[in-house]
Amino acid sequence: MTRLLTFFLRRLAAAVFTLILMITLTFVLFWAIPSDPANFVYPAAQHLTDYQLAHANHLLGTDRPLLEQYASYLWHLLHFDFGTQWAGSQVTGEQQLVRLPIGPQLASAVPQTLSIIIGGALLVVLLAVPLGAISGRRIGSVSDRTISLVALVGICTHPMVVGLTLNTALGQQLRWFPPGGYCPLIPTSGAYCSGPVDWASHLLLPWITFALLFLALYTRMIRASVAETMHADYIRTARAKGVGETRLMTRHVLPNAGLRILTMVGMEIGTAIGVCIFIESAYGFQGLGRLSVTALFGTVGLDLPLILAVVFVITLIVVIGNLLVDTLYAVIDPRAGQMLRERESKSLAGVI
Amino acid sequence: MQATDGAALGPFRLTLRRIRRDRWTLAAVGLLAFIVFCSFAGGSIAGAFVGHSAQDQYPYAVDDNFKPAGPWTRVPDTSYVNANDYGETIPPPKGTKKTLLVLGADGTLGRDELLRLLDGGRTSLEIGIFGAFVALLVGVPLGIVSGYFGGFTDTVVSRLTESIMAFPLILFLVFASVRLADTLTPIGWGSTIPDGVFLVGLLIGLFTWFYPARLVRAEMLTLRNAEYVSAARSLGASEWRIVRRHLFPHVLPALIVWSAIAVAANILLEVGLSFVGVGVQAQTPTWGSMLSQVWGTIFAPGRYNSSTYSTWQTILPTLAILLTVFALNQLSEGIRSALEPWSSR
Repeated sequence: MTRLLTFFLRRLAAAVFTLILMITLTFVLFWAIPSDPANFVYPAAQHLTDYQLAHANHLLGTDRPLLEQYASYLWHLLHFDFGTQWAGSQVTGEQQLVRLPIGPQLASAVPQTLSIIIGGALLVVLLAVPLGAISGRRIGSVSDRTISLVALVGICTHPMVVGLTLNTALGQQLRWFPPGGYCPLIPTSGAYCSGPVDWASHLLLPWITFALLFLALYTRMIRASVAETMHADYIRTARAKGVGETRLMTRHVLPNAGLRILTMVGMEIGTAIGVCIFIESAYGFQGLGRLSVTALFGTVGLDLPLILAVVFVITLIVVIGNLLVDTLYAVIDPRAGQMLRERESKSLAGVI
Repeated sequence: MQATDGAALGPFRLTLRRIRRDRWTLAAVGLLAFIVFCSFAGGSIAGAFVGHSAQDQYPYAVDDNFKPAGPWTRVPDTSYVNANDYGETIPPPKGTKKTLLVLGADGTLGRDELLRLLDGGRTSLEIGIFGAFVALLVGVPLGIVSGYFGGFTDTVVSRLTESIMAFPLILFLVFASVRLADTLTPIGWGSTIPDGVFLVGLLIGLFTWFYPARLVRAEMLTLRNAEYVSAARSLGASEWRIVRRHLFPHVLPALIVWSAIAVAANILLEVGLSFVGVGVQAQTPTWGSMLSQVWGTIFAPGRYNSSTYSTWQTILPTLAILLTVFALNQLSEGIRSALEPWSSR
């Protein structure tokens, strides 16, 4: 138990290190790129006077020393205060600046993205396990070739195309599904729609879209694992003592693929968030993916607080996900504490 | 190391022989050669046959709703719309020649879909190959240094790549292409490559070099203490020679397999970038931009409407991507299994 605890603590330290590294990198990058936050205060102005520049910087707090800004940001972050974004600031009166807080935006965006990712990942595993098992039992057979081809089609049709097609055809024309949008999981009175049933019905198509993209990767991996295991001595032994084919697969062959799936899930969390940009757009969600692209695109300039918040939250999700995977790994396979996790190959789907 | 007697085959010949026996991989090689030929030469050949270019616009190739014509349509060979006094479109003047659009028109502008598909293939392949090349150029030396020599470089490279790999790649690309677009987009060495191709390829390479670097590093870590390395060292071989002659050949197969997958992945990545609205300039066709022409960008997703869009606009680019990715995937699988016949794929 102590061993597990040390392992967990070591991973936790690495996670915190990664978080601070990402924040610092973003800050440094931002200092390196010349930009004028004052433009956010006077978005309509063609040319800012020196007074306006100084005044705007003072109101935004960007006239303070860089290290002080950095320290103050970290301090606020420790209290889960993401501050206010620069875009949409409005000057009211001489010393007043009305600014939009970032916290509420994140609070509504994060559940949407997490719903897509978690549900989608479950669907991927549910589909990939039987498909991979069928493929892996007879490498090169017709069913194996068919499954590989279908999975490849899933990768090659972009989630944006798949998403919009499904949403238009099934959601808006046939009306089998809601026409896009997100419903909160927790029932709230007065909301247009909420509760588990509405939540799931709004998410079913996004999940399918998500699953189609990642299916190939997981099917392929389970296929390789099954093909490898089928030749093992203990499978011959199990067959010899009369274990049925179904039980053979579920109890003797497939568990071997479990650890690989777990590793893969941990590695692909960041990618999954990237894919969510397209899925959210196709189904009209206002999730983390779209928020991050909006933050990066900035027509007025770079909105540092918003970018920092988005980078922090994405890194946090990735880091927590990896922490969970690592811990699960260590619980399932006690050797994992010493073992290096195989992280070398990222998938084809991994880069979309 | 000059094997001149024909008794034993070298690893290269042996691999080649195994590939030659694998008909799926052979088919993939043939398909790939066909795709590359069509993309780089097919555009001008087909253009000479039908007598127009990929940029020519045919207003009569779209109907009143701007829905493009389907495959094998003959349209009036004119870029002017004939209108009556009320501003209504009327048929072109008598005697206007007709021209053949083999795969129909590409969208509201009424350009030749086939020619744009072929040219788009060239752009997509250029981005894919150039991106993989840049990644290898950066990743392999860094992988060698960090794996073979270890030390400070290793620590920095490993920690940095682990953090950056965890973050969604597409966000880096969006950020970088928005920031660097003005500086790097015009680089095209005259008109050898279209505007923006250099930028997108370079950025993809600069953000994907971690994969070859880690591949090389892992291999170097396991091999650097091998007996033949010690043997070479005791014979007085320099570190550079050991890396070049004794270690690098071991990494090469893995790098070839990676490159094939990377080109496929880069092509798909370019599609994603088109949907974000960054990347190659609008007038240059790519498979990604042909799709985003129909489906919009993430900021303004298109609602598909069968009266303004034709299904061919989606099917044709998707099919082209599918064939290319399938061929590259099968090729990398084939090379892998030819190199390691003992592994069960």
